[in-house]
Amino acid sequence: MALDMSIVDELRRIVGRDHVVANADDLRIFERDASIEGAMPDAVVLPSTTQQVAAVMKVAAKHAVPIVPRGAGTGLSGGAVTIRGGIALQMTRMRRILEIDAVAQTALVEPGVVNQELSIAAAAHRLFYAPDPSSQKACTIGGNAAENSGGPHCLYYGVTTNHVLGMEIVLADGGVHWVSGDTPDRVGLDLCGMLVGSEGTLCAITKIKVRLLRIPPSIATLMAAFPTIEAASQAVSAVIGRGIVPAALEMMDQVTVGAVEAHYRAGYPTDAGAVLLVEVDGIPESTRELMSAIRDVLGANHGYAMREAQTQAERELLWAGRKGAIGALGRIKPNYYLHDGVVPRSRLPQVLSAVGEIGEHYKLPVANVFHAGDGNLHPNILFDLRDKEVLHQVEGAGEEMLRAVIEMGGALSGEHGIGLEKSAFMPWIFSADDLQAMQRVKSALDPGGMLNPGKIFPDPQRAKVRLAGRTGFAVEAKWW
Amino acid sequence: MSSRGPLVAVEKPRTEDELARVLCEAAEVRKVVVPVGGRRASGMGGLVERCDVELHTSGLDRVIEHSPADMVVSVEAGITLEAVQAELARSGQFLPIDPFNSPGHTIGGLLAVGWSGPLRLRFGSARDFLIGIRVALPDGRVASAGGRVVKNVSGYDLMKLHYGAMGTLGVIVAASFKVFPKPLHDVTVESRGGWPEVDRALDLALPPVALEMFSDGRVLARFFGSPDAVKATAAGLGWDEADGSIWDKHAESAPARWARIAAPPERLRGILESLPSKSTWWASPGAGIAHWSFENTKDLVAARSAAEAAGGSLVLLAAPDDVKTQVGAWGTAPETLEVMRRLKDAFDPDNVLNPGRFLF
Repeated sequence: MALDMSIVDELRRIVGRDHVVANADDLRIFERDASIEGAMPDAVVLPSTTQQVAAVMKVAAKHAVPIVPRGAGTGLSGGAVTIRGGIALQMTRMRRILEIDAVAQTALVEPGVVNQELSIAAAAHRLFYAPDPSSQKACTIGGNAAENSGGPHCLYYGVTTNHVLGMEIVLADGGVHWVSGDTPDRVGLDLCGMLVGSEGTLCAITKIKVRLLRIPPSIATLMAAFPTIEAASQAVSAVIGRGIVPAALEMMDQVTVGAVEAHYRAGYPTDAGAVLLVEVDGIPESTRELMSAIRDVLGANHGYAMREAQTQAERELLWAGRKGAIGALGRIKPNYYLHDGVVPRSRLPQVLSAVGEIGEHYKLPVANVFHAGDGNLHPNILFDLRDKEVLHQVEGAGEEMLRAVIEMGGALSGEHGIGLEKSAFMPWIFSADDLQAMQRVKSALDPGGMLNPGKIFPDPQRAKVRLAGRTGFAVEAKWW
Repeated sequence: MSSRGPLVAVEKPRTEDELARVLCEAAEVRKVVVPVGGRRASGMGGLVERCDVELHTSGLDRVIEHSPADMVVSVEAGITLEAVQAELARSGQFLPIDPFNSPGHTIGGLLAVGWSGPLRLRFGSARDFLIGIRVALPDGRVASAGGRVVKNVSGYDLMKLHYGAMGTLGVIVAASFKVFPKPLHDVTVESRGGWPEVDRALDLALPPVALEMFSDGRVLARFFGSPDAVKATAAGLGWDEADGSIWDKHAESAPARWARIAAPPERLRGILESLPSKSTWWASPGAGIAHWSFENTKDLVAARSAAEAAGGSLVLLAAPDDVKTQVGAWGTAPETLEVMRRLKDAFDPDNVLNPGRFLF
């Protein structure tokens, strides 16, 4: 469904002629995010001010056109995909860091600011922004807030919602509001907390006030190898059982280690069944003591080949392997598909063995690289999209893995969001009454249902999630 | 205090189903329901317009599941904070919630009122580690959100919606929390040096997990961490050692009339200095929160203006009815009140839950 030209003209009057994309070829760039499914928007609008966002929202409401806020498009659950067409509200022109208050340790940013840019700017004040998704070089703070993104260091520091102090939002009716701010315990309902992670289905975000933390004076990063995933999982539980919550505790399996090592030469032992990266930070006395205790625990749990980064460059190399792991997997197969289900940490060995069996059953290589401390899995199913038959297999394997997660008392997503990809699975974990309660919030704030329709809630218009047939364009274009 | 006439029905359901039924049956005939937990924060908020049914959660007091290895606990809403801590302590774990007017808070009550204590400086409030919630709604449904894993973005974060909603959107029947290991080392030190010492302590490379300043100039700081780090930090500060039990005593604080002042942390001192001399208060300067034992409405009005001018708030935690009526429990309503009302209407369209106590 193309937008009526009069609507396109209305949008152009708001943001300027150059900032509305309505040409079919140009629109293709905005067809997808980093998930597998895509759908074409009818127009892309690039506002530069809150007022423009509000005006665009009003146009969408007036003409009942779906509208989907979008950041860098790095999302992994299809949150930014315009599945019902309509307007993609591309926020990346709003990319100013408006203020860094070094005394209050806060930053006020526009939604299009890239996560890592904020930490770089904050570093001048010896501060940093804690949530660090692996896509932090590209993903935006607005997208992070919409998805309640995580990252390796969220084990200790908490996820995005723990760091967003307040937001300026635009509701579906075009109303502009500030929710929360830099004062604790504000009077009234915690709208800000509820809107973080609402995946663009309740509001557009136009400004974000975040908490910054002081860069710890000392950081210690340790790599340890384990004979098996089970042993590494046991070691993770043992560290935390010892009363130590490291800043980060990440695991990579043998498949991942092989690919990463070939690419980054980070020094991970390729014979290991699993590699753990453990990081602690704080004052030097503290990192020294904690690291020593951690080494003892890991050693007692079959850890070997332990190596602590001696320089900042070594630390960065150890992390480059982890953060670049998914890219490195391209050496094995050109495409990957991953879920990010979460299990209670004690169920890690069980769920990982189930994941392995499912991969074998479907004859698909699986590479695990994940936030072990949180129990947050990332099983990457590796495949080659040029093999058109494989998608059914990938889809089946992914669904079964999520099933295994849920059967072990887990949740559908730890940080990527439900989006389009997992909406059909929501009834696995939520009853009709649970979903109806969430739907009340949706109806109260977006009665017309125009904000990012087709997301989070099971969509009666789509009986089942289907990967196949939705990726034709990528195959044709030979993107890979 | 709410007016409690002779016709109030007192209900103490033993199960979630019973509680949901009581709520639903009352709501059907538009009876006003006042949820009751441990009555530790019952002075907070406006006067409830009427009370037909007092719905006590005390019968729902079980630990549903505590999985030490997963560091997650699920409990029913009527359990006391102390009972939860006792369960967790068996595995060397704890919930970093230390509200005033302790002991006796129930988990449901605490979540509804959103109180926090000194440990908020390091751990945030319960809002930050509440990972799942189950709520009975006036239409008889019982709805859950979140889950029992420490990291979860599946569905809307309704935990945040009910946290601090004063029981006006539903009655919390159960909650799940991420729990924390007890610190390797825990040291408390004390100073009489007032604000300069507060600034010094907050600026430490290993900052305190709690730092309380009192109106008499006393300052208490608490450090968690590995033994050497904590000892070195406390020694560097040069304050006197204090007994850790001082925190339990501090948590009992609850003057007959008191108010909570919240402000951006760097503005809090100015507000406290504008209070009448000889005022009794204590504050978590790093968190931007203070509790004040006020004397009269004139002082209250002035302090509230100062707090609101700084972008903060002054909320009554306990006050005589006439004071509440005169100055209001909450102060200036937020700009987003209309948006909040839409949510209230979605969950409690007939306004049977605690009418008048919160903003609606």
